[in-house]
This record gives sequence, C-alpha cells and structure tokens, in this order.
Amino acid sequence: MKRGLVLFDPAEIPAVEWRGRVAAVQRELTASGIDVALIYGDVSRSDDIAYLTNLCVYWNEGILAVPAHGDPVFLTKLSPRVHPWMRLISTVTEIRSGRSLAELVAAFLGPGDGGAVGLIEAELWPAAVSTQIRQALGDWHVRPLAGLVRALRQAPSPSEVTLLGRAAASLADTAADAVAPGLADGERVAVAERRLRGDGFLDVLADPVRTGDGVTSVRITAQYRYLWLQASRVGAADNVAWPGPLREAVAAAVTAVAPGATAADLDRAARPALDRLPAGAASHVRWVHHADLATNGEYADYRSDLPIPAGSVVVVDIDVRFADGTHAAVAETVLTGADGPVCLTGQPGAVGAGGPLR
Amino acid sequence: MTVTPNDGTADEAERTLRLGRVRTAMTAAGLDALLAFAPAWRRENVRYFTDARIAGTASFVLLTAAGSDGVRAFSTRAADLDTITARGWVTDAHPFSARAAGPLAEWLRAARPARLGVAHYELLPELLMTQLAQALPHAEIVSATALMDDVRLVKSDWEIARMRRAASVVDAGWAAFVEVLRPGLPEHAIVAAVEAAIKGRGAEDNFMLIASGGDEVRGMTAPTPRVLQEGDMVRTELTPQLDGYWLQICRSAVVGPASDAQRRSFDLFNEAVEAGIAAVHPGVTAHEVARAQNDVFRGRGLGQYCTSQYTRVRGHGHGLHIDEAPIIEGNETELPENAVFIIHPNTYTPIAGYHVLGDPVRVTRDGAEVLIGTERKLFEGAIR
Repeated sequence: MKRGLVLFDPAEIPAVEWRGRVAAVQRELTASGIDVALIYGDVSRSDDIAYLTNLCVYWNEGILAVPAHGDPVFLTKLSPRVHPWMRLISTVTEIRSGRSLAELVAAFLGPGDGGAVGLIEAELWPAAVSTQIRQALGDWHVRPLAGLVRALRQAPSPSEVTLLGRAAASLADTAADAVAPGLADGERVAVAERRLRGDGFLDVLADPVRTGDGVTSVRITAQYRYLWLQASRVGAADNVAWPGPLREAVAAAVTAVAPGATAADLDRAARPALDRLPAGAASHVRWVHHADLATNGEYADYRSDLPIPAGSVVVVDIDVRFADGTHAAVAETVLTGADGPVCLTGQPGAVGAGGPLR
Repeated sequence: MTVTPNDGTADEAERTLRLGRVRTAMTAAGLDALLAFAPAWRRENVRYFTDARIAGTASFVLLTAAGSDGVRAFSTRAADLDTITARGWVTDAHPFSARAAGPLAEWLRAARPARLGVAHYELLPELLMTQLAQALPHAEIVSATALMDDVRLVKSDWEIARMRRAASVVDAGWAAFVEVLRPGLPEHAIVAAVEAAIKGRGAEDNFMLIASGGDEVRGMTAPTPRVLQEGDMVRTELTPQLDGYWLQICRSAVVGPASDAQRRSFDLFNEAVEAGIAAVHPGVTAHEVARAQNDVFRGRGLGQYCTSQYTRVRGHGHGLHIDEAPIIEGNETELPENAVFIIHPNTYTPIAGYHVLGDPVRVTRDGAEVLIGTERKLFEGAIR
C-alpha cells in the first residue's frame, strides 16, 4: 500500500513542468470540444491524477476535474481534514469533499448549458459512478475520452528520467540483497521494505517465489514519487544450472528493446537462452509500460505485436512456469533511449546519480 | 513468524460454513447466483471464497444458489491460478482478460441466473459491467455488497484464530515503532522500520497513517520528511494483514519524557477507550459503542471534538477488509458475538493535539475481549 514518503519538491519537477502537463491536457480538450475532463482514481490506480498534480490518493476514491481553462480541482470522498496536507504535497489549491462523487461533480460543474464533459478512460471507471454522474449532469453532454493522460505519461520527461534513474539504482541494489541465499521469504520482503521505504519509496510490492529445486526469485514492483519500476532477480542453488540461462535470457531481451520492437521480438532474442531451461518449463516474455505497472498492464491491450513507443520506459519481464507448477521470474526496467536501450535497474548508480534518495 | 497451517479438516469445515452462510443469504435475497468482484484494493470477498492471496488487478468468484454447481474463480493474473488451485477452496480457477472476459462470460451463461448479485457492484469497471450485461442480457443484476458485508460480520472460531495470530504481528509492529523513535529521524524512516518488522513476520500488507509534532497536529496522513524532535508526540494507526485478516492498533508515543499535557490527554483518551469497551455486549449497536466514547469527551466539555470537523469514526469493523462497519453515532448496526472491531476515539483536542489510542476487540458472550497484547499507555521513547 501507499504507506511511504509523499513528497512535493519543486527542485525535482519544476512548477513550469507541472503547468505544462495540465496545459497539454487542456489543449487536447479544446481541440476535442470538451469543457471539462474528469479523471477517476482510487487507492490502487491513480497515477493520472498524480502525474497532473502530485496528489496521492492514499485511500478511497477521488476525481480530478480539469477544465479546458483554469486550474484543476480535486473532488474526493476523503475528509476535509486532509485538505491542508493535500495542498502541501500537490499543485492543487481547490479540494472539495463529500460522500457522493456524482454530487460533488454536479455541484462543481453547475448547470450545463449544453457544455461537454469528458470522462478520461471512461471504460475503467466504476460503471456505477459514471452512471450516477451522467444522471446528475442533466444539461451536460457526457462523453468518453481515451487515455490521453496515460499517453502523456508514457514518455518521461528529463526530470522524470532522473527520478527513475535514482530510484532504479536503489531498486537494483535492493533486489540483489533480497535474493541473497539463506533468507526466509518474510526476511526477503523485509529487506525490500526497509531499504526502499527508507529511501523514500511510496509503495513496495515484493513477491518471493521458490521453485521445486529450491531456487528463489524475488519480484519487486515499487513506486518512487508517482513513478513505477520493477526488478526481479533469480537466486542460486547448489547443483541447479538454469538460473544462468534465465539471466542470459532477460539480458538478451533487454538488448532487443527499441522503438517499435514487440513482445515477439523480445521473445525471439531471449529464446536461445530460454531453450536451455529444464524440459517442461514454459516461459512467457513480455514488456509492460511503466505507466501501467499499477495494474501490471492487466487493463491495457498488450497484444504480442504492440510496438514499444519511442522514448518510453518499459519493464521487460520473463516468467517461467516449471512442470511442477512453481515459478521463477526475472525483470528489468529499461529506458528506450535514442542511442539504444538503457537498463535502469541493471546498472546500479549509473543513471541519474543526482544525489541520495529520500 | 511462520503461520502454522490449519489442518485440512478445519479448513473444509470453514469452507462449508461460509458457503452455507452465503447461500442462505442468497436465498433470502432472491439471488440465483452471486459474483464476487475484487478490484485491487477490495479483495475481501474473493478472499472469503478462495482463502488465497490474489494479486490480479481484477478477479471474481462465481457461485450459484445450487450447491452442486461448484465455485469458480477467475483472475487477470495467471500466477493467481496456481495460488487459488493450491489452496483448494474453489472447484476450478480460470484466467480472463479484462478486455475479453470469455471464460467468465461462458460460466455466467451456463449458470443462467434470472437474478445475479454482484459484490462490489459499485466498483465494477464499465469495461467489465458491459461484458457482464452482454453475457446475461435477460438477467436482473443487483448489488450484493451489503449481503457479503453482513455475512462477514460475525467471525468463526477459525477466523478468530487467524486474527489472534495477526495480533502478534500487530504487537511486534508497535514494538518496532517505539524502538526506532529518536530525534532527527524522518517520519518515513519509522514506516520503513515498522514495515520491515511486520513483513519479516509474514504480514502481507499494512495500512498505516502517522503524524508527529506537538499540539498543532490535527490528524494523520502518509509519512512526510518531517524529522522528529524531542518532546514530539508520534501518533499512528498500524494495521497489518496476516493470512488475509487485518487487525489495527492505535497508539501514541512521545520522543523522550511526556509532558503533563500529553499525560492528561492520554488519560482522557484511555477513559474513552475503556468506556467503549465497557459498552460492548452481544447485540450492542455501533451507535452505542460510539456514544459511550463520545460521552467521556462531552462530560469534560470537549464534545465539539467528536464532530466531523475534527475526527471521523470511533472505530470500525475488522476482518478481511480493514474498514468494515463504522463505529459512529447514528449507525444502528448490531454487533453480535464474535464481531471484531477496533475502538478508537482518535481526535484532536487542545490538550495535546491529535491523540491516537485504540484496541481491537471481539464481542464475547458477556462483554469484550481485547485481541492484542500491547499495553495501553502513553509510550515514551528513549533519547539516544
């Protein structure tokens, strides 16, 4: 859960960049004839809201209203008692609380006079909430909108790349420590929590799994500020050879990361090494955008021929299911750079070493 | 800490008990089938049926009123299927894609319910609701969220045993919290130490809010970079989840020796907690437990600090979800024997700022049992 540090630091992302993000959305709204966009978020999926405001929806639900002209307003079921903190850690100045999101939206928008309201990624909204909003906004035209904030999030800015690089260095070191021999599963998770929360990560999801022949993998998905990363490491065991080829496979898949590359391309690169895994092992090679890690990409359409966008940060993930039903995993977070892939989690400290984490 | 697995007989009895409770409730509600939906932040109902730790962004369990039809689980995460199957509480488990929920739709069509209840209907994404409606064009689809809340309200002995194990992790988490306090430490470092302590003991997750400072503190939030100073009162509600079950402790600790005002504040809040505990008996309402606590504040002329301007609830239910039935004046929900909830009169007063104190209790045959072992006192951290 989002139990870690929430920080708003203009030295990390300057005010002009925050304003530019909202302006980019507003340009899209104007071009589409939308007066106000609504963005829904809950504790498990609110990265669009964080990207535009740095707000942390640490519990419950909320809606960010982005007018085509003017400042965003946050509407939430959280108590007004947290408004001062929310203003402190975000760019938002106006926050309204209430028990019903539909009533909050209706009160904020007022009479419609034929204006248009867009629900960003409407298909992912709770249907009950969007239905109530449609009913509450009698004179407004309510239209579904695509994931235009998600699209913006897919290409990290230089500020974000710096943050991702810092975070990746910490994550890489932590993942290596968490897979060390001799630890119980709980201790592996404790290693990840102590290090990453101490380094200022907001969320940490550490998942150790063990194969039938005694090899442990640890997958760590973690959120630093509002940015997600993932690293998975496979350990070692006496007289077990397959972890070597599995590490080679992920390294080969990372090398194949490029604008336009597909999961099939990554699989092709990794396959020679994966073919050396034990008989009966089924491996799945995929990439998922860092902008989708809150949902592990499970609400997006990651078909095998989907190309990696230029300039994006993606996770290259290989999951292996052995004949006995146990799993192993390796993963890296990779920047699709202009001069080739940069494995952020593979080179601790090498990227964006702009100072200690907090 | 390693949790001792339950033997298979006890597990089977618990599974049978649950299915019986749910099917009885379904009959009363006129439901032919029930679909429990779990978004990533509300998995309690799917867990109730599977007893499996699921990680999928969306998952479901489907059961019909007829006991012979089996219980089916579905998840968007492939690895969940092995987890669910290994636990063995459902008949089978199937993968599905949020954008093409074929297997789920097929099983729904096979069930042919005239009236389908969906637990967490209110959170079901439009993407999935549309596919549900397409699979069952003639069915009446209604919310079954309250039905499942009611079913989960009374804990079985099997569940109470799990919550007692969670209590040991709660106690360890609070001990780690006090142990780490020292001037100069940022709030988020406290969280790091606590998370490491409880996860090392097997906790799956944790809900935790925190605040540090003096009498200016009005509430708790996620941790900030603020560093502790001598004399600060550091408040937390700490809620580890073990084997599916959440259990909370609310405490405040002072960095160094406590002031007279901090001690007076503790005495007031402790009296309110004790009043809440004393009010508990089978059938007591949430309103009555809240009123007992609030009356302590009213008796001191501090009743205004029991309002929503300063506080939220006087406690809440616990179980497979963190925040079940709210303990608040006006909530006439009856709390039967073996309901579990925390009593916490947390609020701001001018005495020493926001104060946090509370214990989770089980409703016993004739009163209340506090489930955690941590002493209820104003803790004072060492200055190192």
